[in-house]
Amino acid sequence: MTFDWSVVWQHRDALIAATGTTILLTFATMAIAVPCGIVVAALRLYGWAPVRAIATAYVELFRNLPLILVVYWAFYVLPIMTGLGLSPLATGLAALVLNVTAYNAETFRAGINSIRRGQVEAAMALGMSRMQALRRVVLPQALRRILPVLASTWVSLFKDTSLVSVIAVTELAYVAMQIRAQTFRVLEMLTAMAAIYWLLGYPQAKLVDWMQRRFAVTE
Amino acid sequence: MNPESQTQARRAKAGGAKIIRYRGVIKRYGDFQALAGVDLDVHAGEVVCLIGPSGSGKSTLLRCTNGLESIQGGDIEFEGAALPREERELRAVRTRMGMVFQSFELFPHLTALANVAEGPRTVLAKDQAEANRRASAMLAKVGLADKAPNYPSALSGGQQQRVAIARALAMEPDVMLFDEPTSALDPETIGEVLNVMKQLADEGMTMVVVTHEMTFARRVGDWIAVFDSGRIVEQGPPAQIFDAPTTERTRDFLSHLGWTG
Repeated sequence: MTFDWSVVWQHRDALIAATGTTILLTFATMAIAVPCGIVVAALRLYGWAPVRAIATAYVELFRNLPLILVVYWAFYVLPIMTGLGLSPLATGLAALVLNVTAYNAETFRAGINSIRRGQVEAAMALGMSRMQALRRVVLPQALRRILPVLASTWVSLFKDTSLVSVIAVTELAYVAMQIRAQTFRVLEMLTAMAAIYWLLGYPQAKLVDWMQRRFAVTE
Repeated sequence: MNPESQTQARRAKAGGAKIIRYRGVIKRYGDFQALAGVDLDVHAGEVVCLIGPSGSGKSTLLRCTNGLESIQGGDIEFEGAALPREERELRAVRTRMGMVFQSFELFPHLTALANVAEGPRTVLAKDQAEANRRASAMLAKVGLADKAPNYPSALSGGQQQRVAIARALAMEPDVMLFDEPTSALDPETIGEVLNVMKQLADEGMTMVVVTHEMTFARRVGDWIAVFDSGRIVEQGPPAQIFDAPTTERTRDFLSHLGWTG
């Protein structure tokens, strides 16, 4: 069996662009899913009972569905529901946001619950409202505690963006598979894809380890 | 001095003004009655110490005073008006009552200075410079000016509690509520906290102190209320409570603590 690694070099522009899309998808998903996660967590913790139930149902639904199913669902159902002709990229982004928001909501909820009741009482004894106590006292502490968890979610998300390749989003996995199909260079393209994901993913994982040490909570 | 003249002396010092007035206060947790009808007056400039066995309702009364707990019966009046139930009005009342907790409850993500500046900044909407100036002054007052940039985790228990006192003082409250402020401290740091509290009392701050420190209660307290099973079984000036208690329950409690006068 002979290898022809030049195929990777020949398609470098497409691979670089696709890698850019993968990174963009990761950033965009997190940029939306973090604030949405806080909102959903707050609704679950402090919302009016029916709202709380809806937030809980949302979290439990999307946390327990395979992401690839959500991706397909978004591709077929979202256009019918919204009447919008979304691009594959927007559809993939929506699916990822739905999934990661559910995870982030649970992370934020756990973080907020981990802060002692006495902290809120101390804030309220100063005359703060519940909202001020949440914003000034609880959230800053909760964020530090859950930063390592959010970072792990980030690394998982970075790899999971490959799942949106099934609806033809031109991210790294999709483009690599396309090149493979055109050139029949299966092993070369899979190896190249693995190398790119790993080289980008490994520093992120190391960054997570560093964050876990750096933001360890001392009381 | 006989008890009546002591009571008169108390009134004279306080100028007669009642800052807090508890009447028939009842607090229930489910079937458990934590407060079973408490009557007590706190006059301006006075140090009132609440003593008694654990679970007798002292801390509960303190927590009802600033509305951290709601009451099911009776009235609590603060500065002549019933404690409001509405959240916004209650917050306004809380800004005039400082509270110090057994477990300090400093904000661990903020420096000592930022902890003390937090109330003026967020609640009183002072600008950063003014809040920090006030915070520096309060830290200096509790003898911790040099600890301003330190995080709570880098401070001893006694230092943390003094920062917590400074945090409450920064709101310029009319009354300070202390909930077992030295119970979580190592014996060697209790003194520094009690000294700060004594200094506050000497400056004329009105204080309600839940404490197991009988020496402090006797030396600094103007009025002592002995709690048992959600009731005040005896109240009076320290000389009465510690030297000539009129009830068996007070004598029992003090003898259990090994109090010999």
